[in-house]
Amino acid sequence: MRPLDPRLVRRIGPARRYIIVTAGLGFATAVLILLQALLLARLLAPVLAPAPLDGDGLGWWGRLVPESTRTLETGLAWLACVVALRVLLAWLQERLAHRAGVAVISQLREAVVAHVATLGPRWAASGRGTDVATLVTRGLDDLLPYFVRYLPQLALSATVTPVMIVVVLGLDWLSAVIVVTTLPLVPVFMVLVGLLTRERSERHLAAMQRLGTRTLDLIEGLPTLRALGRERGPAARVRALGEAQAKATMGSLRIAFLSGMVLELLTTLAVAIVAVTMGFRLIGGGIGIETALAVLVLAPEAYLPLRNVGFHFHASADGLAAADSAFGLLEDPSAAAARRGLGAAPELRGATLEVEGLAVATPDGRRLAPGSLSFQAEPGRITALRGPNGDGKSTALLAVAGLLAPDEGRVAVDGRTVLSADAAVEESSWLAQVAWVPQRPDLGPEGRTLSLGQRQRRALERAFTSGRPLVLLDEPTAHLDRASRAQILARLRALTAAGATVVVATHEAEVLEEADAVVDVTAVLA
Amino acid sequence: MSAATRAGRPAPGAGAAPATRASSPEPDRRVLARALRDTGVRPWPVIRAVLAGTMALGSAVGLAATAAWLIARAAQMPSPADIALAATVVRFFGISRGLFRYLERLASHDTALRGVVELRERAYDRLAASGARTVLGLRRGDLVARMGADLDAVGDAVVRALIPVGVAVTVSTIAVAIVGVITPVAGVALAACLLLAAVVPAVLTHRSARIAAVAGTRARAEVTATALSAMDGAAEHRVWGETRAAASALEDADRDAEHAQELAARPAALAAGSQALFSGLALIALVAIAILAVQSGELGGPLAAVVALLPLAAFEAVDAVPAAAMQYHRSAAAARRLSAFDGAGAGSDADRHRASSTLDLDGLRAAWPGMEPTRPVTATVRPGEVLAVIGRSGVGKTTLLTTLAGALEPASGSVRLDGEPAGEADTGVVAAMTAEDAHVFGTTVLENLRVARGDVSEAQAWDALDLVGLAPWVRGLPDGLETEVGPGGHSVSGGERRRLLLARAALSPAPVQLIDEPAEHLDDDGATALRAMVARWRGQGRTVVLVTHDHSLLDVADQVVDLD
Repeated sequence: MRPLDPRLVRRIGPARRYIIVTAGLGFATAVLILLQALLLARLLAPVLAPAPLDGDGLGWWGRLVPESTRTLETGLAWLACVVALRVLLAWLQERLAHRAGVAVISQLREAVVAHVATLGPRWAASGRGTDVATLVTRGLDDLLPYFVRYLPQLALSATVTPVMIVVVLGLDWLSAVIVVTTLPLVPVFMVLVGLLTRERSERHLAAMQRLGTRTLDLIEGLPTLRALGRERGPAARVRALGEAQAKATMGSLRIAFLSGMVLELLTTLAVAIVAVTMGFRLIGGGIGIETALAVLVLAPEAYLPLRNVGFHFHASADGLAAADSAFGLLEDPSAAAARRGLGAAPELRGATLEVEGLAVATPDGRRLAPGSLSFQAEPGRITALRGPNGDGKSTALLAVAGLLAPDEGRVAVDGRTVLSADAAVEESSWLAQVAWVPQRPDLGPEGRTLSLGQRQRRALERAFTSGRPLVLLDEPTAHLDRASRAQILARLRALTAAGATVVVATHEAEVLEEADAVVDVTAVLA
Repeated sequence: MSAATRAGRPAPGAGAAPATRASSPEPDRRVLARALRDTGVRPWPVIRAVLAGTMALGSAVGLAATAAWLIARAAQMPSPADIALAATVVRFFGISRGLFRYLERLASHDTALRGVVELRERAYDRLAASGARTVLGLRRGDLVARMGADLDAVGDAVVRALIPVGVAVTVSTIAVAIVGVITPVAGVALAACLLLAAVVPAVLTHRSARIAAVAGTRARAEVTATALSAMDGAAEHRVWGETRAAASALEDADRDAEHAQELAARPAALAAGSQALFSGLALIALVAIAILAVQSGELGGPLAAVVALLPLAAFEAVDAVPAAAMQYHRSAAAARRLSAFDGAGAGSDADRHRASSTLDLDGLRAAWPGMEPTRPVTATVRPGEVLAVIGRSGVGKTTLLTTLAGALEPASGSVRLDGEPAGEADTGVVAAMTAEDAHVFGTTVLENLRVARGDVSEAQAWDALDLVGLAPWVRGLPDGLETEVGPGGHSVSGGERRRLLLARAALSPAPVQLIDEPAEHLDDDGATALRAMVARWRGQGRTVVLVTHDHSLLDVADQVVDLD
């Protein structure tokens, strides 16, 4: 996985701004770390040197900190300023990171939700809905550690590390050579370790997943076992599986941690070698104490961000994966299968609605439900759709409402096609004439505090009073008591008396009796 | 996308949480301590991991100290032999840090993994032994989340909280000891800064986590609800022109959640700043003390360099403390959710088993807490009789069945088995239930049948498979009865799955059999299997209750209850 998803930068404004600001802060941090090291060298050199210092041991970089900082008062004052600025930067970085992370997550969530809302009921039935719900409610939150922990370290390794190398080169080229030669060894050895252990780690990973699935299987089956009075047996099996899984996991960790060890080993050893080399050169007078102190303090800083990037990568991998699936969803071209435009919808009031050979494939593609549905719905009449569960009554209503493109057949108004597999009238002008009430109405934000029965009544009320000429109702009398059912039927009658076309999907005898025409909906094998 | 919310089962806490829990919440410390006791983690492995961690981060401190000494000593231009030992020690620390860090990570993860295994077994055991109402009321997602992620989170308390804090204490002690031996004043200053650098950020981080938990939870729930509503109700919103309103409801909820997170972020940012502050203060103080000590002649150069430069390496261990505080909070929350599984209710009681049983329903209305109860049902089902229950989806047929199984208290009225109120101890023993979403385990066909009864022989298995018309299918499988099915095994179609579950029910010894048929249309083979099953049970004098959507099956029943 790439450490930085280019789509985050390209598409999400707050992410882009944050990355720029973080890079800036990273550079500022690099400067402060540098100043701190130079000041320590300035302060300590005079007291550690056997003879008074002659000349500036910091070379060109000495211009950043005047030689007057060799005195305790001036030096400490400078050091205090640097520390204060570092405190401020640490605080600012964390604040900005948090704010940016939260803003990016909100924006991605809103984009995914808005996109999914356009995908239609067929997509919702495809079973991917659960994953998306998990993604927008929980998955994207994993991006926060990515922004707060990982990205700043990435920025630091892109700024601090090169700055330190340049500075060390200016101070003492031999130490710089040691740093520069060990730095590339880090990725080389990590890749080498990865290649050498790939087969073993894949085997361990597969074992871990297999055992994890088994354990999950037993856990998921617990209600089933309880319902048969057989819940006591599997605890021992859960343990045995767990032990095997722990063993496999340790096997894979032993390998996974190797690359971390290589990283720490190389970086620490390099610092040690820099120190020892300088020690022997100091004795020979090959290097001054002021220079040596500065290099001693700076060398570990060159490696630190690199170590931290490795350390935080694991925690942010989940967030990156979530962002990846969010972008994958947003860029899914299959979603945007638009139908050819047929212009504005004709006036529905007083017109006859014709459905001809309507067929919609089920999500698994095995059946057509409805199979081949044809009927005419006259204004002022109630047309009832009847049939077994799953044979396509609700789907037929969705297709007539224009919310779902049928696979075959068409919907026409007074002979003019308005909806078919590949063509449709302008959505807003069609939907403005359609009142549709699904089985479990959502009613938008205000509906959430209501019970299902209340929502149902409220949604029906909205449909009855909307004055729209085509009324499509899916099981309107479900979840209602007998008195309410009678009331609904009376309202349906009133609607038709006012000239509306009413189509009802139902298997309720009372509704079927009230209907002027009953159409059987059947599914066929595809 | 709302399969879980539509399952009609209560959220844990609403229904599944045992009523015996104290009203005032237990402190985090105690909840987590209890969970950790259940992991059976012994002190020695933890100490071993802390020792390895101490060696790792102690190496960093040692490296800084000896390197500082080496450079300062070399500056005095002694003979190379005088710094040879220090040079070797520096190289040793350069290597030991990585090695011990590796050992520490292995030791801590090993300890935590073993602990989680132990904890999972206990949690499974305890959950299995808790009331049928708790178990049957669980949503699959909850169960998997708690027995998976939550258990791991408790294990993480060892790796990410306990051990890092232990290492921070030991490494800080070592650093203070080194500096303190050289100049006691510097030791005191370093100790004070280390203590503050550990405690202040930890307290701030903890406060941040608390704010996030209190203010964040409600805001997040709102975000979840509006996001799901915008997606679930998308078609409806299009029809009624509410798409924009739904999107802006989500935006509002997002803004509120951002505000809540903003409140939590403030202490977190202060924590980050305070870490930099205290390590910076230590550096300033120790540099000043070291220089003054040299100038006054109290201290030689090399030891002064150790005092002045040690703070650069000494704070790495305490820097891990805020993250440990965060993990502590998370682990405690997970332990709290896990503990909601414990306690109330009874397991099944094999002693209650009998050959036949009469089921009496008197004005029974069934409901999960917060649900609208079903309409009242009165009926008596004697051995050899069949009661069919029909009604629309969502009307409460499955809830009624769960109540008949003794797993759920009636909302009103009563269920009696041979005159005694049905209870959780009867579930599965006197009244066995086959749910429509009953689980097919990832094991052999035979073991899947043995779920009903542990001692099912091969002959009995074939007989049951024959009864439901599945024998030819099993004969066609590569290993017959020993073929693995379900997750990871041979795939099973919907119809085969239903009949396998029926065969399993046929082998159950319980005198009352409650069968929940799936909402989809039963295929012909399924209907035939069900008829054969019912006929067999009738002959055996079992008491049968059948939930069905297929009205053509009603002729098998002696009585029919319509819940509509």
